[in-house]
Amino acid sequence: MNPRPDPSELTAPDDGIARGGVLLDVKNVSLSFGGVKAITDISLDVLKGEIRAIIGPNGAGKTSMLNVINGFYTPQEGTIVFRGRERRSMKPHQAVGQGIARTFQNVALFKGMSTLDNIMAGRSVRMKRNIGWQMLWHGPALREEIEHREKVEEIIDFLEIQHIRRTPVGKLPYGLQKRVELGRALAMEPTLLLLDEPMAGMNLEEKEDMSRFIIDVNQQRGTTIALIEHDMGVVMDLSDRVVVLDYGKKIADGSPDEVKNNQNVIDAYLGVPH
Amino acid sequence: MFYRTAGQFKSSYEADHALFPVRQDAILLGVILVFAFIVFPVTASEFTFRALLIPVLIYSLAALGLNILTGYAGQLSLGTGAFMGVGAYACYKLVSIFPEMNIVVAIAMSGFFSAAIGVLFGLPSLRIKGFYLAIATLAAQFFLVWLFQKWAWLYNYNASGAIQVPNIDMFGITVAGPRATAMTQYYFVLCVVCVITVFAINITRGRIGRMWKAVRDMDIAAELVGINLMHTKLMAFFVSSYVVGIAGALFVFMWRGAAEANLFDIPLSFRVLFIAIIGGLGSILGNFLGAILIVALPVIIGSVPQAFGIPVDSAMVEHLNIMIIGALIIAFLIIEPHGLARFWAMIREKFILWPFPH
Repeated sequence: MNPRPDPSELTAPDDGIARGGVLLDVKNVSLSFGGVKAITDISLDVLKGEIRAIIGPNGAGKTSMLNVINGFYTPQEGTIVFRGRERRSMKPHQAVGQGIARTFQNVALFKGMSTLDNIMAGRSVRMKRNIGWQMLWHGPALREEIEHREKVEEIIDFLEIQHIRRTPVGKLPYGLQKRVELGRALAMEPTLLLLDEPMAGMNLEEKEDMSRFIIDVNQQRGTTIALIEHDMGVVMDLSDRVVVLDYGKKIADGSPDEVKNNQNVIDAYLGVPH
Repeated sequence: MFYRTAGQFKSSYEADHALFPVRQDAILLGVILVFAFIVFPVTASEFTFRALLIPVLIYSLAALGLNILTGYAGQLSLGTGAFMGVGAYACYKLVSIFPEMNIVVAIAMSGFFSAAIGVLFGLPSLRIKGFYLAIATLAAQFFLVWLFQKWAWLYNYNASGAIQVPNIDMFGITVAGPRATAMTQYYFVLCVVCVITVFAINITRGRIGRMWKAVRDMDIAAELVGINLMHTKLMAFFVSSYVVGIAGALFVFMWRGAAEANLFDIPLSFRVLFIAIIGGLGSILGNFLGAILIVALPVIIGSVPQAFGIPVDSAMVEHLNIMIIGALIIAFLIIEPHGLARFWAMIREKFILWPFPH
């Protein structure tokens, strides 16, 4: 009855990879569901400390790519090297153990729980006291609870959601739910943070707030971020490098300016007469 | 008026994590405990003990066990009655094989048998959810009751096929069997229920409780925050079946005194499920409120009209009882799926704000 991954995997933020070194290397990955090819032979790398954007039209395979990275899908071909360790398939909870956290396109919060509990749940894997101590509550279990509560309160302060601490997240407006979800991902203290459309359905002000949080996370905490986003203004301003997918294939990869002027990308987004 | 929270400030996270953030709640609980430990035993008659107090506590405990599984971890189960049976038969065998064993130890150990069986029948939950899982636990219900009937070793090859609780002493006092007094048994059950309730509160408000609720609310997201679904679900089955098993052992040893296999059949499972639903899924308090309602209802129907001079025969009481419980369940599912516990929460909220409407 020990539902936690090996603690040694958790406490290794310093993995010998310098800032700018390759943190995640996806090599020649292909993924198909029956006859449908979601991803065809894509290679991409994420460097430590950067903000990496994955863009492309609908159905290009962006979300599938994130699902492959955090172990939700197992690709039929190709390998993934994360922090110098190669793996073909893993369970999502093992990916968490290695330091990968993510948010979802359509918010996936625990609706019946408060904001505080949602973010605390993000720290479950870091809490160690077993059911015996939990039953007694006072003593080690309470100390641990408070220690993690302090970390969670830092995140709550950072995301400016103090006022909704006790509110069940099901009752929150969409923009705040997205923020709570980011908070839950941050509570896992990830090395690599995957954001699936963090600004979908937000108004301008909420987008600006979210952009600010993403930049702060990246710069203050040194978290590497890979994000999917449809708002080109946001993508071009935020990211260091951009990879463009279309129909499951990689069509461009480079700095925002390079990508912006790439003919394939313009064709994919605007369409070309055949 | 009573619930003034003004002036109660939290200056540490420890204070914020306290069981009763509002002082009046602690006072209220203290009053209830005084009633449970002193006032009721002093005033209650033998009939009150047997028909109300003891069954309320035992059903509360069984519902608490089910609530851990269904209300907290979100795994629907219809096998509660059979798991209670496992606890009861395990306790019976332990007492007959080791007659000198302390009854508290025997009851605590019998919980582990039902927990093991619960985990075994919880294995399908790794693949199936919701109604399909309910059907899988229904299989446990039918299989186990069949086993209780057919496996004569379980009831010591008794010609009647029933288990009879022998007289059991603890520290010179008879606590179970025909010679035990209702008051002793009431105190015994009350202590066990208090201890397990405290443990259950502590588990559900900490890390494990959050993990269960995460699995209940969105299992995919739970997996992606690093929660191992298999371990978490099976742990819920383990803890839940343990508590249910204890409730089953108390059910036979401290209340019924004897039991046949069909006592643990599906009506018992439904009864416990109704208590959990009416009381409120995902709440500890709800189990007690639900059990009070379900156990007291037939007693009230039987006695109140008679007090007004309206004769009601026992068959009528039974019919009215079934009709009212059925109506209540439908009403609760529609009006307040969170049950009586939510009603109390709303009343409490009003008291705190009183006399202002908002």
